[in-house]
Amino acid sequence: MQRNSWSVFLAVVVALAVLPSHVWAQEKVIKIGAIYPMTGRAGLYGMDSVAAMEMAMEEINAKGGVAGYKLDALSTDSKVKPDYSVRIAKRYIEEDKVHFLFGVVSSGVGLAVTEVSKQYKKIFIGTDHAATELTVDNFQPYYFRVSNNTFQSMAAGAIYLKELQAQKPWKRIAYIGPDYAYGHSQWNELRYCLDRLGVQYEVAGEHWPKLAQPDYTPFITTIMKDKPDILVSGFWGGDTVAFIKQAIPYGLLKNVLYFHPDAGGNYELMSSMGDELPDGLVLSARHHNNWPDTELNRKFVGDFFKRTGRYPSYAAEGAYAGVYAIAYAVEKVGNPDDADALVKALEGMKLKLPEDPEGFTSYMDPDTHQIVQMQAIGVTMPNADFPPAKKMLGNWKIYKAEDLLPPKEYIEMKRKK
Amino acid sequence: MESNKRGWTTQWAGIAVLALFALLPLVKTSDYQLTVANNVLLWAVFAMSFNMLFGVTGMLSFGQALYFGFGAYSVGLFAYYQGTWWFLPALFLGMAGSGILALLIGPLVLRLTGVYFTMLTLAFAQLGWGIVVKWYDFTNGDDGIQGIMPPAALSNKVVYYYFCLVLVSVSVWFLWRISRSPFGLMLRCIRQNPSRVRFLGRRVKRNQLRIYVISAVFTALAGGLMAGVDNSVHTGMWYWTTSGEVILMSILGGMGQFFGPFVGAAIMILIEDMVGARTEFWSMVIGIVMLTMVILLPKGVVGELVQLKERLFKRSSALGV
Repeated sequence: MQRNSWSVFLAVVVALAVLPSHVWAQEKVIKIGAIYPMTGRAGLYGMDSVAAMEMAMEEINAKGGVAGYKLDALSTDSKVKPDYSVRIAKRYIEEDKVHFLFGVVSSGVGLAVTEVSKQYKKIFIGTDHAATELTVDNFQPYYFRVSNNTFQSMAAGAIYLKELQAQKPWKRIAYIGPDYAYGHSQWNELRYCLDRLGVQYEVAGEHWPKLAQPDYTPFITTIMKDKPDILVSGFWGGDTVAFIKQAIPYGLLKNVLYFHPDAGGNYELMSSMGDELPDGLVLSARHHNNWPDTELNRKFVGDFFKRTGRYPSYAAEGAYAGVYAIAYAVEKVGNPDDADALVKALEGMKLKLPEDPEGFTSYMDPDTHQIVQMQAIGVTMPNADFPPAKKMLGNWKIYKAEDLLPPKEYIEMKRKK
Repeated sequence: MESNKRGWTTQWAGIAVLALFALLPLVKTSDYQLTVANNVLLWAVFAMSFNMLFGVTGMLSFGQALYFGFGAYSVGLFAYYQGTWWFLPALFLGMAGSGILALLIGPLVLRLTGVYFTMLTLAFAQLGWGIVVKWYDFTNGDDGIQGIMPPAALSNKVVYYYFCLVLVSVSVWFLWRISRSPFGLMLRCIRQNPSRVRFLGRRVKRNQLRIYVISAVFTALAGGLMAGVDNSVHTGMWYWTTSGEVILMSILGGMGQFFGPFVGAAIMILIEDMVGARTEFWSMVIGIVMLTMVILLPKGVVGELVQLKERLFKRSSALGV
């Protein structure tokens, strides 16, 4: 009797483990397994991405789908935990039989998921994480990224700084960024690009607060003492907002040019700071709501607003592009099952995206599986077209996509390591 | 007499559970179930070795992630720098290293008791986390290490699962033996009344250090094997939330029961998995479950079941653990 009651209970526990968590019965569906953070500080990036992903799928399905298939997606909160995300990816592949892995905001999670993609030979479409490692050091054939990486942003940033030096000589440059791989690789890549362009400069301090640091005062006062001409920033998300808010009362941003070319120009900053956002900050991001002024971008931003009641942060456009990339590949191949044929199709992909200006079409670099896109760097100025933001970027400088790719010797050096 | 019977029940239950886990590869409908089962097994070992400190000896360590991360990174770093061949030696080197580390840190943290002990273990664990995050050139920092493959002989998922199951069974058996031995009794005495133990002429600190080291060694085993399940390691394994998770597992399952943490680990992982697959409000569900447990079932799932059984059969409560 004793043993029985025990075994019954334990049998139930194990039976729960054995039950499959999803049963799918539809036919002719392209299944996408999305992994995004939906809670916590990065939650907005995930929510925007999922909204844009669903928007793109509805657009395509409304036109009758692709090659006779409808698009469908599962979405799971990654909690920004690599081990948990690995489990989600395995569940997607083994239980839900998805055709594509999709998403990811954190590069740490991206690196763990690309390993699963490699093992199972399932294509992983990276939509938002920026660490260059994924397309260079840890490159694997089933990974594709549809948004810019930090190298591209920093290459554009270096050209901007070079041009600036010609107009308004500057010499001393300081860096502040989160103390983890994303922060470090931006600084390394920027210096690599500046050296490559032959720019003369002097480093006036490197500052490494931890991610989500509540108080930046000690860094702000040190930077003010060091008196750099330019302060390069590598923050993202709430950290950018917190740093700028804390720097304003010290007058730091009046004396130093704030330069933030990878994630600084995210709409999140404009919407959460409103009037408080100082003019003259030099920022960029992977997508802008007011650049380029094309039909496609206006439609994307407008539709997103209609759907969610808010304007998109840059993460949204990455997810939107990812769905269209999948549709492009399946259209070419005719089915979503032949991963190797899909890889071939994606390698030759050309796709007109909301962030492409007139006369340019984004395309996939077959060597690195990194999308090649133009980058625009702007300056904050009054513009109330996208409320609640009171300032937006303007006075754009546009950089050609081909000038922003990591050179061959850089890729070889990194892959050898 | 009563305690002995309880012992037999627990032992048979343990054997039955492990037998069910052994049958899983035969009845599974997808490989994913193996991954989940493997996660349950390894977290169970982690939680049970933590509970040897917490439930048995009464030492609430908030720093067990240090040894979990150490075990995982031993395997990860050796596999990364030296190749797959090093997977198994690294697993055992990680256990040994973890034991040595615990032997060094143990005397420092054991100087204090209660909440001070807890805070000090947390501090050491965070120190380890800090080193791993900062030391990019060696550990890859926040990026973690990917592509950690078990050696060819274990590369098949089912084989690796059985490999883990065997090591987990041996560990559980070993911890069980400790728990039932005179040494285990000594540990329980230390939890209940350390002064009396001292009056009886036994050394409190030395016994605490012993169990601290043993716990560290098995925690490192769980971490090392986990590296082979995920094929990657990352800094989160060293972070305090990882230490927190095993505390939750122990409380959920019942810290006063030998198999409590095992059941707690299974429940936590299944909730996380099944609820997480359907809604992003997984944390709310875990929160509600924890709240219900603490208010209504303070002895944990296994503790309450045992009590229920005792009440039904009108048996007096035994010593526990």
